[in-house]
Order: sequence, then C-alpha cells, then structure tokens
Amino acid sequence: MSEFERQHPIAAISRAAGLIRGNLITILVFLFVGAQSDNFPFLWWIGGGFGFLLATGIVNWWRFLYKLEDDTLHIRSGIFVRKDLYLTRDRVQVIDISSGVLQRLFGLVRLDIQTAGSSSRQAAIDAITVEKAEEINQNLRKQRISDTGEHTEEEAGTDRSSAPPLIIAMPFKELIIAASTSGSFGIALSILGTLFSQAEPFISDSGFFDFIFGLLPSESDTLMIASVILLFVLFAWLLSFFGTLFTYGNFSLELRKDEIIISRGIFEKKRVTIPFNRIQAVHVTEGLIRQPLGYASIHLESAGYGDEKGTGSIVLFPLIHKKSIQHFFRDVLPHCNTEAAGIKPPPRALRRYLFRSTLPALLLAGALYQFLQFNLLVWILPILALIWGWLKFRDTALGFQDDLYIIRSRRFSRSTAYIRRKRIQDATLSESPFQRFRALCSFELHVASGDQGKTFSVRDIEQLHGLGHLSQLKKEHTIHDTQAEEIRTDQIRLPGWMNPNLSKTIES
Amino acid sequence: MNSSFHKLTPRAIRVWQWGNGIGNLFLLAVPAGYFFIFGVSGLHTWLLSLLSLFSFTLWVSSLTWFPYLTWKNWRYCVDEKEIDLKRGVIVKTRTLIPLSRVQHVDTRQGPLLRWFGLSTVTISTAATTHEIPALDSVIADRVRKKISTYARLAEEDV
Repeated sequence: MSEFERQHPIAAISRAAGLIRGNLITILVFLFVGAQSDNFPFLWWIGGGFGFLLATGIVNWWRFLYKLEDDTLHIRSGIFVRKDLYLTRDRVQVIDISSGVLQRLFGLVRLDIQTAGSSSRQAAIDAITVEKAEEINQNLRKQRISDTGEHTEEEAGTDRSSAPPLIIAMPFKELIIAASTSGSFGIALSILGTLFSQAEPFISDSGFFDFIFGLLPSESDTLMIASVILLFVLFAWLLSFFGTLFTYGNFSLELRKDEIIISRGIFEKKRVTIPFNRIQAVHVTEGLIRQPLGYASIHLESAGYGDEKGTGSIVLFPLIHKKSIQHFFRDVLPHCNTEAAGIKPPPRALRRYLFRSTLPALLLAGALYQFLQFNLLVWILPILALIWGWLKFRDTALGFQDDLYIIRSRRFSRSTAYIRRKRIQDATLSESPFQRFRALCSFELHVASGDQGKTFSVRDIEQLHGLGHLSQLKKEHTIHDTQAEEIRTDQIRLPGWMNPNLSKTIES
Repeated sequence: MNSSFHKLTPRAIRVWQWGNGIGNLFLLAVPAGYFFIFGVSGLHTWLLSLLSLFSFTLWVSSLTWFPYLTWKNWRYCVDEKEIDLKRGVIVKTRTLIPLSRVQHVDTRQGPLLRWFGLSTVTISTAATTHEIPALDSVIADRVRKKISTYARLAEEDV
C-alpha cells in the first residue's frame, strides 16, 4: 500500500452527519430563526443546509488521502489548506476501531489513531474496509515484529471469541445493573429538561398534556406536579438505561501480550486498542448509587486519547463487584494488585471538610428561604452538604507502596486512583494560611491524559506527610517511613477491598 | 539542599509593578462605572467613596507592595533529577517536576519583559505547564539549556 488511497465514498455522508452532530445547537437555532421568517420558504432553508453539508462532505472526502508506508501512516487532508499528517509507530497511543450504523450498513469501520499531543483528533479515517483497518492497525503496532506476525493478524481479523488471548466479558446481569445505576441519569434529566423547555409550547398546543393528565388520578395541583416530576425522572432514567445498555452492550476485554483491546456497543460498535505501556493511571469509581450495592467501574487514563471532551479517560470495565476488583487487577493490571499503607487526614481536618461543603449550601438555603420564600424543606440542603463533607473526609486517603501511589478521594462518587511513580508528570503541595495554621496541606499529582492531563489530589493531610511524600518523590530513598512512624493514628490499608479469603473463593 | 534554591531577579519587581499598574487600571474603572450608573446621592455617596477607597488601595498596593511579596516568595531549583518550584504569597505552593517528564522548555519575552531584559521560562510536561517568571535573559537561557540537557539525560518513555 504505497499509493495514496481514498476512503469509501460513504465517508462523505458520515462526515456530513458528523458536522450536523457537531453543530446541532447552531443548526437548531438557525432552524428556529428560519421558521420565523415568512419570506423565505422553510423547506428551502433545510434543503439548502443539507445540500451544503453534503457538498462539504464530498469535497472533504475527495481531498482526504491516506497512505501506509511500513510503520508510518501518512494522511493528507484539508480543503483549502493541505495538511500532511505522519503517524509513526513509536508515537501511537491508542488505536480505536468503531463502526456506526452507517458504516455497518456497508461493512466498513472507522479508524481513530491517537497520539500524545493535542492534534490527536485529526487522525481519523471515517470509512474504510475492515481489512484495511486491520492492516493499518497491525502496521502501527509495535509488538508484531517480535511476535509471530501471522498469528496476531488472524486473531484480529476474525471472531475474537475463538482466539487464545484472555477475554473478559461482562455478564448480562452486571450490564443491567450498570445500566440501571448509570450516572448519566442526571445528565439525561438535564437534557430532557432543556428539550422540554424548548418544545413545551408545541406540546401544550397539541393537547398532549390533557391526554397524559387524563390518565393520572389528578386530585390536586401538588399531585399533578409530583406526577409530572415522577414522569420526568422515569423518562430520564429510561433514557440513561438504554443509553448505557447500547453503549456497553457486548462489552469485552481482550488481553494480548502488550495491549488491551476493549470492544463494546450494540448499535455503534467500538473497539479501542491500548498498549499497556501507554496507560498513565487507573482509577476505580464507586458511584453514589453503586457504592452501597458494592459495585464500581474501572477507568484508564491514557495520554493522547482525546475524545470530544478532550479527556483521556477510557472505561476499562463498566461495572464490577468490589470483591472481584482485585481478582480483575491480578489478571489485567498486575501492578495494581497490591495493598498500600495509607494515611488519612487527621481528625482536626474534619472541621475544614464540613465547613467547605456546608457553607455554600447554607448560604444558598438562607438566600432561598429569605428572599424567595421557600418553605422549611430547603434546610435539608445544608444537612445533606454536611453529610457529604463528612463522607469526603472519611474517604480521603493517600497511600504509597512499591512505586505505586494509591489516592482515594470523593467528589460525588468515590474514586480510588492507582498511579505509578514513573507516570507522575508533576507533584504539587500547597497550603493556604488556614491549612498552615493547622499544619495541614493539599497534595496533588498530575498525570498525562488526553489534551490537558488529569489531577488526582487529597486535601488536608498532615503537613509532614505531604512533605514526606514530596521528598520521597525527589529522592529514591525515603524519609517518608520514619515520618509515617511518628503519626500512626490515622493509618489505613488501601484500597481495602482486598480480602484474601474472598479472592480465593472467586478463583475457584 | 535549600542552598541550591534560587531567587528571581529583583528587577522582576519593577516589571510586575509596571505590569500591574497598567493591567489593573480597570480597578479604577469600577467606581467610575458605579458613578455613571447610580450617580452621587444619599446612600450611593457612601458606597461610592468606600468602593473608590477600596479599589484605589488595591490598585496602589498592586503596583507597590504585591510584586515585592510575590518576588520574595518565589524560589526555584533545577538539578539533575527535578525542577522544584516554590511560590505563593497567600497559598504557598510547591511543585516538583521530574526532569524525565519534561517535554519541552521555552523562554518567552513580552514587550515589557524585553524592556527590562528579562525572560520567562516555560516548562511543559505531558499534563501541565509551569513557568519561572521574569528571569534575567542570560540566566533564563542558561536555565533553559540546563533543563533541556538534563531532560535529555533523564529520558524515559512517556
């Protein structure tokens, strides 16, 4: 493949669709404006818009060329400004093969290649055949030369369930639990709310409400409002339920010698290839609903995996029971399968945690109560915030063992991060005057991830501990141990879900 | 170990004083804006004078006192293994950057810095960007070279 090639023409349409998706809000605004003007026919407006997008898509397709030379993928694109992009094997972080509905109709896939750096999103081929994608995939991956090349190619091309590498699939039961406890519930609710507020005039005209309320035993106004809210919540929940179900259906992990392949999706299939040595950090997230049920999800941070949001987080496993996490780590990421001596913030930090979370809620509740005449129920807010602050205090911990940092903290969900020392981009210790007064400090570790990197931090730990960790990072030999000896009161074992008896039972 | 920490050039204070003096002029626009909207009458007289006093004090201290404090609290140290930055007047921050993580180093110079013969050293890792502000241009170049040399020696994969 030393000649320039063009993508499958379907790329033009998928490009146009991508443009629509990317500018949905602008387009909607235009449509609303267009619908208002009388002297310009609405259909023309829409037709013209789609024609323009399609034309853009076609020109883009025409100008997009790619070529594979040994270990370099050369992409030439751009309508007016020609851009030549060279992707070499050494720099590739993640290779991502996905196929949307459109691509699957024609038996095509989309190939995303992520390198470290911010221009990573440019390296995408919208529509090529599966064989070509595999060829590129194979060529841009390192280990093939050393390995028996024939073997790998075969596995990748055909059904993966028959291939020898270890495959971990997600059971259907867990998928259902994942879907029903999905955190995107809140997001769905807010999207629904916005949509509703936009579409409300149209719906109320159509008599839809009358129909709905006819079904409900509406005795009073409060009941009606309550049922509307209930309806909303139910609908949002269903939305997030099916959203998660379709995103993470058919989830499976395939472990190769040097890389992990994550495949998922029911309608839009996605396949992500991450070399082990590109993993920057691993974190286990226990959501508010999932934590009491004993479930968590596992995420990866990878440099250069820029999705639309520019973060480098990849879901490594959408739902796993706490008891199986260590087992999972033993198979997938052996370096995380340890326990570390951890330190917690000292008791005198508790008041800072409580204060920080409660004050804004208190002010908000006060303002609502005083100026907007809310009823007494509004005072639940600061109480919830108090509990929240306490939870944050209780969960914050920092551990270190064998060049592995384990950082646990809570925003809403509890997150436990595993960071290898050699992956730390920089470490920051900071102390505000109040913290200084109480001999506390905040400790932050930055890890490369996506475009901006990711920060893991613990607040209000013992100043000495913070300094100890910093000097430990600075030197190979640790002063830390002696200092940890001095203050033994707030030590815990991290991550804490390691139970030798339990892991034995899972094995059998 | 602390002996190898360096301070910034004292000329940095001058630069920041000028920079703040011009950059924070908007502080004076706040009471002016208030005057144009509400005028001077009754309660507004008091509020206006309070506001003027406040923003004027802030502006004056930003061009006299604050730069000195910033300068006084800044320390940096570059050795074979790490870059160590200490800074912060109110919130004290200390950052440690392993040299093997440094992706690139730049020196930068705005018009004001050039006037005073100073440069800023910018250190980028894969995750974050840090600055050593307002070093003497000659020293800045030396620091940049030092960092890039050490970084090359400490090379590991990302």
